[in-house]
Amino acid sequence: MKRYLSLYKTFLAQYLKILMEYRIDFLIGLIGFGIIQLSGIAFLYLIFAEIPNLNGWSFEQIVFIYGFAQIPRGLDHLITDNLWILSKSIIVKGQFDRYLLRPINPLFHLVSEVIQFDAFGELLVGIALVIWSMIKLKITVSFLQILLFILTIISGAVIYTSIKLLFASLSFWIKNSHEILWMNYSLSDFSKYPLSIYSKPIRTIITYIIPFGFTAFIPASYFLNKGNLYTCVFGTFAAAILSFIIAYTIWLNGIKAYESSGS
Amino acid sequence: MIYVENLSKEFCIYKRQPGILGSLKGIFKRDIEIKKAIENISFNINKGEMVGYIGANGAGKSTTIKIMTGILTPTSGKCQVNGITPYENRTANAQHIGVVFGQRTQLWWDLPLSETFTILKKIYNIPEDQYNTRMEFLSEVLDLDSFIKYPVRTLSLGQRMRADLASALIHNPKVLFLDEPTIGLDIVVKEKIRKAIKFINQEYETTIILTTHDLQDIEELCDRIIIIDSGKKVYDGNIKNIKKDYGYITTIEATFSNKNDLSLSNLSFGFKLDSQDLNLNIEDNKIIIRFNNKKVAVSQIIACLINEVQIKDLHIYEMGIEDIIKNMYKAGELNA
Repeated sequence: MKRYLSLYKTFLAQYLKILMEYRIDFLIGLIGFGIIQLSGIAFLYLIFAEIPNLNGWSFEQIVFIYGFAQIPRGLDHLITDNLWILSKSIIVKGQFDRYLLRPINPLFHLVSEVIQFDAFGELLVGIALVIWSMIKLKITVSFLQILLFILTIISGAVIYTSIKLLFASLSFWIKNSHEILWMNYSLSDFSKYPLSIYSKPIRTIITYIIPFGFTAFIPASYFLNKGNLYTCVFGTFAAAILSFIIAYTIWLNGIKAYESSGS
Repeated sequence: MIYVENLSKEFCIYKRQPGILGSLKGIFKRDIEIKKAIENISFNINKGEMVGYIGANGAGKSTTIKIMTGILTPTSGKCQVNGITPYENRTANAQHIGVVFGQRTQLWWDLPLSETFTILKKIYNIPEDQYNTRMEFLSEVLDLDSFIKYPVRTLSLGQRMRADLASALIHNPKVLFLDEPTIGLDIVVKEKIRKAIKFINQEYETTIILTTHDLQDIEELCDRIIIIDSGKKVYDGNIKNIKKDYGYITTIEATFSNKNDLSLSNLSFGFKLDSQDLNLNIEDNKIIIRFNNKKVAVSQIIACLINEVQIKDLHIYEMGIEDIIKNMYKAGELNA
């Protein structure tokens, strides 16, 4: 563990050096992401200017859920963004070879190569919205609840990572799973709003099949006093562990099925 | 050190029909063809040996190397490197092996070369003093100092290959796999790389497995060769005899300027050899002579040639691996 932390530091330092080699690209990326985030909030504001309450949820409550959703998403985006390249091209071109030739966990190696600073856009906006809505709603939290909050945020990030890992790993068999990954990743948009506004099939899918519901709405409703501790918090934790076990198993089997490419 | 038994690897290949209609059809129904990349390969390699692993393109060389390095999992059979099964215990295996793929660099593309070594030091957990002595040794043998500060993407192919070799050796591996380490390099760099490989093998008793198309690599480096063809092992043994017994056809290609009345009969040289051992061909103002160098010396052929024509340009080719394998089949040495 200690060794991996120190390795991560090394990789991070090297990545920063690479970023500075291409700093214009880095800056434009950062600006672009900020704009996307701002337009998301503007959209939300425009809707609620017309409808003050949605299916029993007030504007502030929705902002809380929306903000909450950004944090695990941002955390995962920050750390594991490199999983996208697994779904795109490195398998078909045989470039995955190099991750298998080092005496470190290949998933760690792949993921630690890139730290996606764009994600700070999501993280900052998310944290700001959560704090703002908590003040508005006059929610007070105990020390234990802060710990539970951190637990659900990390669990949510693990769910994001697992879903990405699972669909990206399919490319070990089908060579390119980028579209499938993108389609499923897009389902996460549903979790930014209360699940009760959706029809039953959608609710079932994002709770039990592609469990994005656990990355935002389900844990967030506990902190809004609309759900109980067991389902919302421990359910989220369990969903995270289960998703990761499934995804990691598929990843391991994918490596076994990896065919490299002719050289 | 390396122990391979009955190793086989199959790949599924999906055949597509040509054209757009064909590829649409392929969505619903695909013909699967199972291709055996390697079949029942067995061999043992001892510590400190330098073995040439050769065969034509697509014979299965890289597949075997990739199984031994842990990249591929075989369909059946056993493989152990230093007592470890590579594809089951990948990270433990990786700590003890070094790999160079001539076609594909493993250096950090956007960073100065020196940074690659810093990262590798961390990855392989190399103690400071060992790292320093190793680095000093490698810089000297491979002459890295002149370009170690440059970003890898700016290096020439020759520099990059030397850097790749150094990066595969930085953790003092027990086994070194070299997959075409001299491909695309000029003679001077090739020579440097060969010298370095030889030196490392002698100094550290590193076991080395080398695949290449360059017979000269093999001749200079390896005492033992393993030949595979169409996925099967066809020869395992000494290299010296192979060339003498099967690589005896030399080809001379000469371009000449006086075109006038040159005919094949003028050029039969009076050696009294049958067409198996001496074979002439004239195309425009180029003459191609294939001959058995056990029966006629190169110098004799050239001497005769000079008498007949004015040579503008002259090339001498030794036999390639593909032809040697063909000859071995012909001689009944191999069972087809």
